Amino acid sequence: MTVRSDLFVSVVAPVRNDAGIVTPFVDEVIAVLRTHYLNYELVIVDDASEDGTVEAIRPLLDRYECIRVVQLSREFGEEIAIAAGLDSVIGDFVVVMVPNTDPPALIPSFIDRARQGAGVVFGIRSERVGDSALVRLFAPLFYWYDRHFLHLNIPKDSSQFRALSRQAVNAVVQIRDRSRYLRVLSADVGYAHTGIAYQPINRNPERPVRSLWNRLNVAIDIVVANSRHPLRFVTLLGVTGAALNALYAIYVIVIFFIKRRVAEGWTTLSLQSAGMFFLVCLVLAVLSEYVGHILVELSHRPLYYVRDEQNSRAPIADQDRRNVVTQSLAP
Amino acid sequence: MTGDYDAVIIGGGAVGCSVARWAREHGGRVLLLEREDGLLQRASYANQARVHNGYHYPRSFLTALRSRVNFPRFVDEYSDCIERGFAKYYAVARNYSKVTSEQFATFCRRIGAPIAPAPSEVHRLFNPALIEDVFLVEEFAFDARRLAARMLASLEALGVELEFGADVERLAPEPDGTVALRYRAGGEERQVRARRAFNCTYSQINRVLHASGLPLIPLKHELTEMALVQVPPELEQVGVTVMCGPFFSLMPFPPRGLHTLSHVRYTPHGWWDDRGGPLGRSLADLRASRESNYPRMIRDAQRYLPMLRHSRYVDSLWEVKTVLPSSEADDSRPILFRRDDTMPSLTSIMGGKIDNIYDVLEELEEERASVVPA
Repeated sequence: MTVRSDLFVSVVAPVRNDAGIVTPFVDEVIAVLRTHYLNYELVIVDDASEDGTVEAIRPLLDRYECIRVVQLSREFGEEIAIAAGLDSVIGDFVVVMVPNTDPPALIPSFIDRARQGAGVVFGIRSERVGDSALVRLFAPLFYWYDRHFLHLNIPKDSSQFRALSRQAVNAVVQIRDRSRYLRVLSADVGYAHTGIAYQPINRNPERPVRSLWNRLNVAIDIVVANSRHPLRFVTLLGVTGAALNALYAIYVIVIFFIKRRVAEGWTTLSLQSAGMFFLVCLVLAVLSEYVGHILVELSHRPLYYVRDEQNSRAPIADQDRRNVVTQSLAP
Repeated sequence: MTGDYDAVIIGGGAVGCSVARWAREHGGRVLLLEREDGLLQRASYANQARVHNGYHYPRSFLTALRSRVNFPRFVDEYSDCIERGFAKYYAVARNYSKVTSEQFATFCRRIGAPIAPAPSEVHRLFNPALIEDVFLVEEFAFDARRLAARMLASLEALGVELEFGADVERLAPEPDGTVALRYRAGGEERQVRARRAFNCTYSQINRVLHASGLPLIPLKHELTEMALVQVPPELEQVGVTVMCGPFFSLMPFPPRGLHTLSHVRYTPHGWWDDRGGPLGRSLADLRASRESNYPRMIRDAQRYLPMLRHSRYVDSLWEVKTVLPSSEADDSRPILFRRDDTMPSLTSIMGGKIDNIYDVLEELEEERASVVPA
């Protein structure tokens, strides 16, 4: 028999259209938490599911104690849903997990590792479930670029599955960036990091996998939100273009003085303008990225709106008395 | 105690005492029956001791205004039972709150409740990532022990007959329109007759009705726990309420010289209504299987007010809290004032806040005015 720890453990699980898998997930999580911990809570954040996920959870609120369901007012995305969960959990250690892929049985090993002094313990997928060949090709490139040029150490193949100490959670909730990726944020706040490799499960194989386009957006978001490196590159490009342009101007002037007849030159002229416009367009493209980012950050809107919170209801029933009062209530 | 009374009041809480006093002041013999061995022992004692001044109800304008009206009356009439020696702050949470700090301040100005920005040294006590703004307000606590002594003295002076340790067993209508009331006290059965009976037993209202074969009133009960804590010195003269959602409240609790820590999420331990739940089951039974929620309360509260981690847990106050189902959704706290259809000599009265005693008195006056004999 295991000795139950008096740590307070919180589990945050974002759900969206997970009606089919949420019951076994909750059953498993509660079973694990009950066996290992005296104090725990499971916070399920519903990202405006449309398939009755919340209705599927409702009977679980009667069956188990210590479950909370936070319903967001509309779809905000998984990352914001996790943020809403992190804002409200009270545990000494907080585990974030995605019901579809992360196995609840591993919660204790994540917590144990976190207790040994790591502020953040992240899961490393031993296999990238459902990824296309193109994604598999681009992913290492992305991590390499992040590490070498952005000094952004996103652990390779890390997933949302992670355990955070209270200190790390307190640091993460202070970051109110709208483009937020827990993998990046929890790396950004520092604290000791360590990874645990695990085999992801796939509760619902029909769940649509994220497209390459979606992932590309995420990659651009992460880069733009966390580094000025591309902008710096564009600056260099612009400076180089300007220098070349200046040299070319000098060349034109010199030619003007030493050659008597300068009739042709159409080729060089058009080459020059085409080249410069190319650079200008590139500069504009990257600038627009950043302007967009600044706009988003400056709007100061709340990260999310909570529609409702429901707790385990634990109706107090008395078997002996249940049948005594049978008359209907007066209106 | 035998014989005929003009009024018998069942329940010696704040409401019962006020009704008894009112009845006696309007003439006749009055008897007050209380199950505990003193006045104001149960829900009138085990609560946040808050004298509401409107701040609590930004989502129920009417309740807020009523509180604003009753506040000066209560504070004035029971000034020797009021604890004023603390500063009360309302903090508005950034996330999960149903109001913003701007809305809260506007609301307070509209109901005319005093509100000022909290001093910066108080502001600094709160976690800025979770708290949007902090306001200094005017809200007091009452001392239930002193209030009980005051009410006892006043009832005795008026000549209200009191019986403690009295368990009401049955009310039955008499042919002449009076009510026969059977109760057990001091190990023996007793019976009295009264022109009117007032059922002021709060969570036990339906137990009394059911024992008398009367239709029940739809009420919802909650087993609640408030932690009694010794706060760090910096907070000793301070009360804090975080608005407006699943947050906590820290109020001085004068009878014990401690603070109560209550939490919207963790204070309720479970609920039932009288259809299927334990009808009038004892508090001791109800809490027997429950573990304290203090670890949850303090973990959440110290996220907002980090200094609270230096608090020391002393005890918990357990009580059954009863509300009208209608007031759950909109946060309003109407009183229940209901004359029984089948037994018009019986009136059930319930309030949720200490200053509801004035609403009750107004109802009684109104009723009297409408049935005054020619």
